[in-house]
Amino acid sequence: MSSKTDYIFKALNVVSWIIFVGVCIEAGGFIFNTFFTLLLNPVGAIRFWTEVNLSELYYYNQRDYITVTSLMIIVAVMRALMFYFIVKIFHEKKLNLSQPFNETVRRFILRIAYLGLGIGLFSFWGAKYSEGLVNKGVKIPDLQYLRLGGADVWLFMGITLLIIAQIFKKGIELQNENGLTV
Amino acid sequence: MSIIVNLDVMMAKRKMSLNELSEKVDLTLSNLSILKTGKAKAIRFTTLEVICKVLNCQPGDILEYREIEK
Repeated sequence: MSSKTDYIFKALNVVSWIIFVGVCIEAGGFIFNTFFTLLLNPVGAIRFWTEVNLSELYYYNQRDYITVTSLMIIVAVMRALMFYFIVKIFHEKKLNLSQPFNETVRRFILRIAYLGLGIGLFSFWGAKYSEGLVNKGVKIPDLQYLRLGGADVWLFMGITLLIIAQIFKKGIELQNENGLTV
Repeated sequence: MSIIVNLDVMMAKRKMSLNELSEKVDLTLSNLSILKTGKAKAIRFTTLEVICKVLNCQPGDILEYREIEK
């Protein structure tokens, strides 16, 4: 592998770790604050997360509060899982860049694709649900702050990766055939 | 596969071991083994040429087509 590619890989590894730690903290924060608000002290809803004040939603209807926070948690956990897989692939011993078309990489692409689709679908659901609540006059933060924005982008990424995984499958077949060519 | 590789037959006729053939045709033992055991999916003409040259034979002596009943 050329030194330039090596540097890019190392840089991507570092960036992935930073993002992974960030999304883990976020997911953990959402989970903790949800349970804290519901079980211990409702005042937790006021400062649920940075720029996220869910107090009005909490006092409007607890069921809606649980729904919105559950969707936020699901999306945050899926994002954390996605970056866990990304970080894991950098440390995968079976990752052989001299023969990149292998089942390990294909499985990785499929996992990221399905997670992307999942994040997109739950974000879309969250966005629609929030829209419904706003139409009822409940004041809730912007989707960006709820981390439920960009559903279309996640769906696009998921579908694109699914297509790439199919092409990769063909690449694996060709590589295996080439490996058995003397 | 319907293409049978009779490399071991030619090697026996020429009294040549796999190691010796590997050195002379400049192919790894692993690749030669893939060819010998019929696991190869394809063979390059350049490889076939050098094997025929070393074993002093024709491609038909090494490769045989046999209809396999399914």
